[in-house]
Amino acid sequence: MKTYLYDGSFESFLTALSRALGSAETCAIAKEGAEEAGLFSEFMNSGTDPLRAAAARELVERRGSAESWQHVRFALLSEVAGAETGILEYVKLLAAKGPGADNMLADDRVRKVHRLSASVGWEAHMFKGFVRFKELADKTLYSRIEPDHNILALLVPHFRARLGTFNWVIHDAKRDNAALYFKARLVYAPLDSARLLEDAKEAEVRELWQHFFKTIAIKERINPKLQRQNVPLKYRKNLTEFET
Amino acid sequence: MDLDKKLEILADSAKYDASCASSGSDRGGAGGTGAAHMSGVCHSWAADGRCISLLKILMTNECVYDCAYCVNRRSNDSPKAILTPDEIAGLTFEFYKRNYIEGLFLSSGITVSPDRTMELMLEAVRKLREQFRFNGYVHMKVIPGADRSLIDQAGLWADRVSVNIELPSDKSLRLLAPGKTKATVLTPMSRLAGRISASKDERRSIKSSPAYAPAGQSTQLIIGATPETDREIIKLSEALYDKMRLKRVYYSAFVPIMKDSRLPALINPPLLREHRLYQADWLLRFYGFTADELLDEKHPTLDLSFDPKTVWAINNLHLFPLEVNKAPYEEILRVPGIGVTSAKRILRARRAAPLSLDDLKKLGVVMKRAVYFVTAGGKYAGLKKESEEAIKIKLLEHKNPNGQLDLFGEKELMKEGLAGTVSGQL
Repeated sequence: MKTYLYDGSFESFLTALSRALGSAETCAIAKEGAEEAGLFSEFMNSGTDPLRAAAARELVERRGSAESWQHVRFALLSEVAGAETGILEYVKLLAAKGPGADNMLADDRVRKVHRLSASVGWEAHMFKGFVRFKELADKTLYSRIEPDHNILALLVPHFRARLGTFNWVIHDAKRDNAALYFKARLVYAPLDSARLLEDAKEAEVRELWQHFFKTIAIKERINPKLQRQNVPLKYRKNLTEFET
Repeated sequence: MDLDKKLEILADSAKYDASCASSGSDRGGAGGTGAAHMSGVCHSWAADGRCISLLKILMTNECVYDCAYCVNRRSNDSPKAILTPDEIAGLTFEFYKRNYIEGLFLSSGITVSPDRTMELMLEAVRKLREQFRFNGYVHMKVIPGADRSLIDQAGLWADRVSVNIELPSDKSLRLLAPGKTKATVLTPMSRLAGRISASKDERRSIKSSPAYAPAGQSTQLIIGATPETDREIIKLSEALYDKMRLKRVYYSAFVPIMKDSRLPALINPPLLREHRLYQADWLLRFYGFTADELLDEKHPTLDLSFDPKTVWAINNLHLFPLEVNKAPYEEILRVPGIGVTSAKRILRARRAAPLSLDDLKKLGVVMKRAVYFVTAGGKYAGLKKESEEAIKIKLLEHKNPNGQLDLFGEKELMKEGLAGTVSGQL
């Protein structure tokens, strides 16, 4: 079996996808580093080829639809092991069947990619609520997140629309990547958050919120299981109201 | 009194209002702060499992009325507080920019007079919109008895407006809320309904005309404080959806906070009953059921051991089993174990290929319930000889694999994992 390796970028993945689609053999796609797992496979570096990447995109959109293209993008952002090869099988099916493939909801190839895509979409939606900013001394709003999937870029348009008049940072600490929105311009960069200085009034507002959060629960209805279903423990670390 | 103490008192008195939605509006705009999201966004969930999306507070917990069920009644000598319009607007803005919340839910006890109360609330929301240029979500309570011109203004500033009916009949209102009648509640409600639909029509022809309460109107009914049956309650909700065009009716299990000889001595709030009412409500709004199909005069009470859709299906076995490869959407929606999402998936997937029973599971259908009511490609895997009783027994076995019946207690609620939800999705 052949495994095409990509460097972690979307364009390199599409290059690998295009190469794998062109191969007559059964193929897999994996991120560089997978070869160290010592699988019995022949590993090929795909590099990044803009023309091949564009062709892979064109294929998905032409044989599938805009919806198919979103599934491919979102499924890759899931960063779940095996997602890449799952996308490859899905795109092969699109190429063979055309747009009707997205209706084959009981087919395991379609289900896998649709599910990964839905899981990414769901987490991105949840984090529209779970992002918590604190105000820094220079009035920048800073938020630290640790989502399962790589959803940072999906959150940005939402916060740009709401907090367009502020400077803000959303920092994915798990992947050490931050969206920095400064004077209405956006850049992505790694970030050292150790020396960020909180605004003097911040603790006061935080305590008001924590107090509100405690008070709003009806004690005759306390239901930790239901609360856990809705706010999984893994997310609580960065939620102001769950800080002790 | 400092802000922290005021917030504690006024959030504590607002918490019995079940409404939490922040959906139905897509407000936004350049230059200001904030936007509303069509589908709504939950920001957190409190220890009772209820969603928090809005800063839910009263402006004041002072009140000239003395309603027996209400924590803010005049004769309750708990500490009183009042927030100024500046404090309300400022607090909302500080919380919003940190993404703690989607916006403000502002209700109030009645201080001095309904008019005065309404004026102060409007002042707070106007400040938020004009001074802070806030485009986030605002849900505003309308104070029954306030002047029409004040009530009219509410929908100009707020995304959603609401008047709580609280007690589901005029008789109960007279008994427990001596200051209110059905008319004082329904008059502002129907006035708001008129304004909302007029503004919708206007905006269809002139896009730029101002939106009036674009997220519509809601209300709340208290469950278990008074003797109304589930049938009366669901009929009332149906009328509110059809005639008043309400977006939501919330049901709030009565929590006995104060002793009063006119109130029942409940030990626990009737959470399972509340949950069943939400399920029935969902059937009205998204599944095409009518109140009369769910409950009739002989059976005015929702079954606590089965969800209302299952009860309906068991009572209408002559309509089943349904062939999932042929039946129309409206009929598929009525199968227990199939929700809106899986019904849509069935319709989509059967365009590509005929579905088998195994496929249904892959589409998200809850087969342990649906199995008695469907065929796929002519195949049926339910009971050989179906009867109401046989299906009931089978379904109960699934719920209580150990044979223990605990239909009214905590265990049942925990198993459904839905205690305290306001979603009630089936």
